[in-house]
Amino acid sequence: MSGDHSDAPIAARVRRMEHLLEQRGLVEPGVLDETLAAFLNRATPMNGARIVARAWTDPVFRERLLVDAQAAIAGLELSMGGGLRVQDLQVVANSEDEHNVVVCTLCSCYPLALLGPSPTWYKSEAYRSRVVREPREVLREFGVDLRPEVGIEVWDANSEIRYMVVPNRPPGTENLTEEQLAALVTRNGLIGTALV
Amino acid sequence: MSRINDVGGVQGFGELVVEQDEPPFHADWEAHVFALNTALLRKRIYHLDEFRDAVERLPPAQYLAASYYERWYLAIRTLLVEKGVLDAEELDDVHDG
Amino acid sequence: MTFTTGELVRAKSVDPPHHTRLPSYARGAVGTIVRPQGAHLLPDDVARGISAPEEAVYAVRFTARELFGTGDHTVTLSLWESYLEKP
Repeated sequence: MSGDHSDAPIAARVRRMEHLLEQRGLVEPGVLDETLAAFLNRATPMNGARIVARAWTDPVFRERLLVDAQAAIAGLELSMGGGLRVQDLQVVANSEDEHNVVVCTLCSCYPLALLGPSPTWYKSEAYRSRVVREPREVLREFGVDLRPEVGIEVWDANSEIRYMVVPNRPPGTENLTEEQLAALVTRNGLIGTALV
Repeated sequence: MSRINDVGGVQGFGELVVEQDEPPFHADWEAHVFALNTALLRKRIYHLDEFRDAVERLPPAQYLAASYYERWYLAIRTLLVEKGVLDAEELDDVHDG
Repeated sequence: MTFTTGELVRAKSVDPPHHTRLPSYARGAVGTIVRPQGAHLLPDDVARGISAPEEAVYAVRFTARELFGTGDHTVTLSLWESYLEKP
């Protein structure tokens, strides 16, 4: 393997790599910043939150979402193409007696298009190693204290399928609009490390 | 010989560290590594599985010591050199640090 | 070999010297097919520049007890047909 023999700060080494790739015509100057701005603008947890709010208010949509997520989210003009590339999606829903939580133990697979860039803890060895083995303890560290009779289903995103969680709709939200409901949904709720 | 990235169920990595209100990227260079990888994948310079493989081939001590996007930079570097796109010498020829 | 939902399968007890998406913790464990997940290229091949047709991927559910000898939860992984065998 080619070792990196530079002591220069990483920022300078990245600039150097980018400059050389521009010289080779593999990267166009300025395009990276445009791509990034477009990505950050498009890929945010608000996408996932919109999907959840619709699933909470529309049982037919919810059913379709759990069977064929990609087709269902197309109806909201969302797609899984907003990240690195188009990804497959499976959506899993919490219930009164089951809680879902998502991890990628091998790297950091994550539904970028629907949740935006992933948090550092999601990519950490601590989370990746522990949540498959002791999810109840990990969830407790996130402040999610599940009753012992609530089963936990961990999803390891080790293939090209990405997972997103539909949290339980909080009680007392019957009169909220879909938009107000979406505002309740957090990124961690979509990963399964928060209740909503 | 499972690789160093294969940490599911491994014990001893300690407590979770959760940063509140974390920005999408902590520095410009991280965002640029992310975007470079996207661009190179789209141009089919390498495949995503080759990229993952290159991350996993980092020596274990280096993998664990590196931050997430440092791993990415090192993996991209490995692939660009292995595929003959860039020379290691020119990549290391950094003066503006 | 194709598998059907509800069928018991074993994740192969292998130790490949190359890139793979079969995590160590699942190797050798017996789980249940819960859902077909389409067809995808085998990452082990793609990472080595080997071209091969896509193969079936299945969501396979394991109990924590089967994987780790302890715990009351389940873990579901997506496993390529090549990673699976009859138990």
